[in-house]
Amino acid sequence: MKRVLGPALAAAVAAAAVALLVFGLGTQGASRALDNAVDQGRRPVAPDRTLPMLGAPGSRSLASYRGKVLVLNFWASWCTPCAAEAPLLEQAQHQLSATGTGTVLGVAYKDLTPDALGFVHSKHLDYPSLRDSDGALAGAYGTDELPETFVLDRQSRVVAISRGQITRPAFLAQAIAKAQTG
Amino acid sequence: MTARAAGVALVALVALCLAAPTAGAAAPRASLTDIESQVMCTTCGVPLSIAESPQADRERAFIRTLIARGQTTSQIKQALVAQLGPGVLGLPERHGFALAVYIVPIALIALLSVALAVAVPRWRRRGQDDDEDPDAPARQLSADDDARLDADLARYPG
Repeated sequence: MKRVLGPALAAAVAAAAVALLVFGLGTQGASRALDNAVDQGRRPVAPDRTLPMLGAPGSRSLASYRGKVLVLNFWASWCTPCAAEAPLLEQAQHQLSATGTGTVLGVAYKDLTPDALGFVHSKHLDYPSLRDSDGALAGAYGTDELPETFVLDRQSRVVAISRGQITRPAFLAQAIAKAQTG
Repeated sequence: MTARAAGVALVALVALCLAAPTAGAAAPRASLTDIESQVMCTTCGVPLSIAESPQADRERAFIRTLIARGQTTSQIKQALVAQLGPGVLGLPERHGFALAVYIVPIALIALLSVALAVAVPRWRRRGQDDDEDPDAPARQLSADDDARLDADLARYPG
C-alpha cells in the first residue's frame, strides 16, 4: 500500500498540472461564445456585473435595465474609432429616448475618470456610462478590441454584436428593431 | 551600575542617536520615474516605464497631476488602483485561469504539509523501532566488504 501511495500521489499531481495547463491554454483567446450563439439564431443571456456609474454616484447592473432595449457599447477616451462612432450612438439614444423603449449604455473600459468624462463632454453624449476599471465586464463579453457593441432585448439577451467600429447606421436600426421583437 | 545595565543603556543611546536624524525628516517626494517602474500600462500589458501608447501617456499625466497635488507614492498607487483596477500594479486578475497564480502555491503548500504530517511520524517510528530492538540482527555485509573490513582491522594493533 505504501509503495503504491507515493507514485499514485505523484501521478495525481502531474495529471492536475497537465489539466491546469490545458485549461489555461484553452482560455487564452477571447471568448466568442456569444457570437457563435447569435450566429446560430439564438439569444444568449448577456453577462452582467454591477459597476460604478461614470460621473454620477452609485452603481448599476445590466439587470436594472431589464424591460428595455439596451445598446451596450464598450469604449475608451483614447480610442479613435470610439470617437468616430459616438455620433451614431448618440443618434440611437435620441431615438430610443423619444420612444421610451430603451437606452444606450456606455462602458468606459480601463479609462481614467477625468479622461472618460472629458470624452463624454466633448462628444456631447447624453447616454449614461459605467466604469469597467479592471475590464471584468468586457472580459465576460470576450471584448479584446475597442469599440464593441452588443444590443440586448428586454430580457437582457444578446441579439446583435458589432466587434469593432459601427460603420453602417443600418446595423443599429436593424439590431434595435430585432431587440424590440420577441 | 551592573554590566548588564550599562549594556542596556549603551544600546538605548545608540538607538537614540540613530533615530534622531530621521525623526524630523519629511516623507520622500513621489517621482514619476519611481512610480512608472512600479505600475503597468493597463492596455499595453507592459510596465509604464517602457509603454508607448495614448493610454500610457494619459496614465503618466494622471500621475503627474497627483504628484503636483503633493500625494505620496502610496496614495498615487491607490488612486491608480481605484481608477484602473488592481491590474495596474501588475497583480494577476482574480478570475479565470489567472486565479491559478493564487491557488496553486497554496495548494502545493497544503499538499506538502499533509505529506510531511504523514511521513515524519512514520520515519520517527521506524527509527524508534530500530533503537528499541538491540538484538535485531545487524545488516549483513557483502563478502567483498567483509574482506576489506578484516584487512583494515588487521592494520591496527590489539
